[in-house]
Amino acid sequence: MAPRNKKSLKVCRACHHVVEGESCMTCGSTNLSEDWAGYLYIVDPKNSEIAKKMNIDMPGRYALKVR
Amino acid sequence: MTEESVRNRVYAIKTTAKQERTVVDNIIKALEDHDEINVVAVMAPDELKGYVLVESPDPIARIEQLREMVPNARSVVKGETSFHEVEHFLEPKPVVSGIDEGTIVELIAGPFKGEKAIVKRVDTSKEEITVELYESMVPIPITVRGDNVRVIDKMPEE
Ligand SMILES: [Zn+2]
Repeated sequence: MAPRNKKSLKVCRACHHVVEGESCMTCGSTNLSEDWAGYLYIVDPKNSEIAKKMNIDMPGRYALKVR
Repeated sequence: MTEESVRNRVYAIKTTAKQERTVVDNIIKALEDHDEINVVAVMAPDELKGYVLVESPDPIARIEQLREMVPNARSVVKGETSFHEVEHFLEPKPVVSGIDEGTIVELIAGPFKGEKAIVKRVDTSKEEITVELYESMVPIPITVRGDNVRVIDKMPEE
C-alpha cells in the first residue's frame, strides 16, 4: 500500500486525493497537481474532526495543501 | 455512536527524520490488524518536521501500544493536543472559495458531469452554488455543492 516513489505522486486539485495514474478515481477529475504539501490519511471520515474540517467524506490518502 | 459523543484527541508521535510519511503509512498498516485501536486520521504536515499527528478518541496508552508496532515511530509526546491547535495545518479543499458570479466552471459530479456552466449565485453559508449550463439553449438554473464543480476560468486575482 505504501507508495514506492512518493515524488511522482500527484494530487487531485478538486478533492485533494493522492492519485496514482492520470485521473482521480474518486471524482474523475484530470486536474492533478505535483505541487502539494502535507500528507493525510483519513481512516474514519465520519468520526474525524480533521476530515470534517477538510470537507473529506471518504477514507484514503490526501494532501493537506495543493497548489 | 453519535458524532457528538466522540471526543477526539490529537497525539504527536516523534519520528525518525524524513520518515514522517512512511510512518503515516506504517501506522495505517499496523491498524489493519488491531481493531482495538481506534484511530480516525493520521497526518504529517510538512511544517512539523520529525512528527506525525494522530487523531483518536483513545487514551494515550493505546497510542503508545500502536507506536511500539511502527518502525521509525520513536515516542509518543506526553499529553494530548486539542484539535484547535492543529487546525492551522489544514487547508480545506476548495468548496466555494474562488468562485464568484460569472465564473466559468465544469461540473465534476452528478448528472451533468462534464458540462460547462456559468455561476449565477454563490451561497457561501450553505456551500452551494447555482449555475446555468453554458451550452444549453434554455438556461435552467441548477444548484450544486461547491465541491462538485471545478473552476475553468476565473478573475485573475491570486
Ligand atoms: Zn478527485
